Amino acid sequence: MEKMKLKLLYSDLKSDIDIIEQELETAVNSSSHLINDASLHLLQAGGKRIRPIFVLLGAKFGDYNIEKMKDVAVPLELIHMASLVHDDVIDDSDMRRGRPTVKSQWNNRVAMYTGDFIFARALEYITKLEDPLVHQILARTMVEICNGEVIQIEDKFRLDQGLKDYFRRIKRKTALLISSSCELGAVAAGVDTKTVGHLKRFGYFVGMSFQIIDDVLDIMATDKELGKPAGSDLLQGNITLPILLLKDDPQMQPYLAKVFAGTLTEPERQKMLQYVRKSDAIAQANKMSDKYLKKALQEIDALPKHPVKKKLRDIALFMGKRKF
Amino acid sequence: MNATYIQNSIAQLKTEIFMDVRHRTLQKYTGVPVLDENQLFYLLVPFLNGEEWQQEQREAAITVGIVYAALAAHDHIKELDATSKEQQLTVLAGDFYSGRYYEILAMSGNVALIRNLSQGIVSRCEHQIKVYEAEKRTVEQWFSSISTIESGLIAQFFDLYAFDAYVPIIEKSLLILRLEREWLSYQRGQISLMSKALEQSAKQAGATYNSVMQDKIVRLKTELLQFLDQASFLQNDVKQALQARVEASIASTNG
Repeated sequence: MEKMKLKLLYSDLKSDIDIIEQELETAVNSSSHLINDASLHLLQAGGKRIRPIFVLLGAKFGDYNIEKMKDVAVPLELIHMASLVHDDVIDDSDMRRGRPTVKSQWNNRVAMYTGDFIFARALEYITKLEDPLVHQILARTMVEICNGEVIQIEDKFRLDQGLKDYFRRIKRKTALLISSSCELGAVAAGVDTKTVGHLKRFGYFVGMSFQIIDDVLDIMATDKELGKPAGSDLLQGNITLPILLLKDDPQMQPYLAKVFAGTLTEPERQKMLQYVRKSDAIAQANKMSDKYLKKALQEIDALPKHPVKKKLRDIALFMGKRKF
Repeated sequence: MNATYIQNSIAQLKTEIFMDVRHRTLQKYTGVPVLDENQLFYLLVPFLNGEEWQQEQREAAITVGIVYAALAAHDHIKELDATSKEQQLTVLAGDFYSGRYYEILAMSGNVALIRNLSQGIVSRCEHQIKVYEAEKRTVEQWFSSISTIESGLIAQFFDLYAFDAYVPIIEKSLLILRLEREWLSYQRGQISLMSKALEQSAKQAGATYNSVMQDKIVRLKTELLQFLDQASFLQNDVKQALQARVEASIASTNG
């Protein structure tokens, strides 16, 4: 239902998104049938395709040409996909989007090769663009995402961290790639530097809001909606915003101690989720997401007059209020 | 050029690679990047032979080394249980090295090499994963896959800088070295998936693992020595260094 709403939001981009979907399938086509199976398995699991969408919307402020833009949009989605395949190895996740992960369907090594293959295909694709600036932006983003993941592992099961640590982590984990999607679409379409700056910051703020909502949904949504057990982030040791806001709560501490000791039972997980859901932490986290959303909307206001501004606003608002 | 000069050149390349991918946390948990000295030697052969080797070629060689380190990190991930912190960070070390090779080449605007190396990685992954596929393959097909895995990336680099005359040398040499490693491990009872696949294909062809490995290694060495003998573009001391490596390896095979 939510995905339908999102599709409706960018219905006027449908033909271009269809081109990107087709191109994604072409991009992962391989002489290895195992890589083909694993990649198609990932593609068919769907996803919101928000990175390609932001590439296209960013490019609308300049010389828009879908044939050129697909060479930016496709690699960004591929990089996102590849990082998910490797993340599932790191997190030992068996399910994603309600489907078995590559590592659980095959094994870790197959997941590593599939991820490396998709990463390489992404770079092969984007080298159709010769502009070094495009590559510099994307390369720095990729390195920073990795740094963020390293920090995330270092921060696991650590309660002696603050909001600053959390925001620094989600910036690298999510906001940077969304920000770069907006920026790269605009740069590739020859948009002026000032507008590129607004789009880049818009992407950053939307990405921050998006990740906070994602972390809230990990607690608020059902196992079925998530396609994995609710509270998985915490069970894997990732301290997300709602948990961070509750870390000193005396009623929460026994649950945290059990999670960290790996002794939390299923009924206890349900009780813990119930407690967090009813707490003020959810409202506070939503408020912080709204703050970022507001900043994103301010960036849209600063953009030159263009019909696509309304689209950016609608998508940003949707992402900030989504229920899946 | 003597053995010390070669060793110093390899050591310098290694140091430059380490400097470019330095990362405090990754090094703490996963150690320094894994680099194969033989691969580094063959990567440097055009330089040792006096080919044009400016900053661009040097940087290119460093990034090829980084890519090998990235893929080698991922080769260390266990098939079933990669939940330790060391394993998790090894996944990220590989991704970080990949990001760094891309960043270095992006900063110098070497888009052509990014493209070539990406194609090389695509091909390498496709061949690496074949051991998990059910498809029946011949022994020669496996040898061809191993050759791509071992030397495909260096060949991409050589092609770009018109060092293609060196490609047959590195293809044969690195294949010989890998087959010898596989064979030695096999004899020690440490049988890799690749050796298992070769064993099965040999059996299907009515041969044994030992016979197909020995035949291939001997044939490759003969071909390589013949090639080196006729390679007029090679300086004598480089030729000797290449021959010495093969002869050392002949001794190990016969021994």
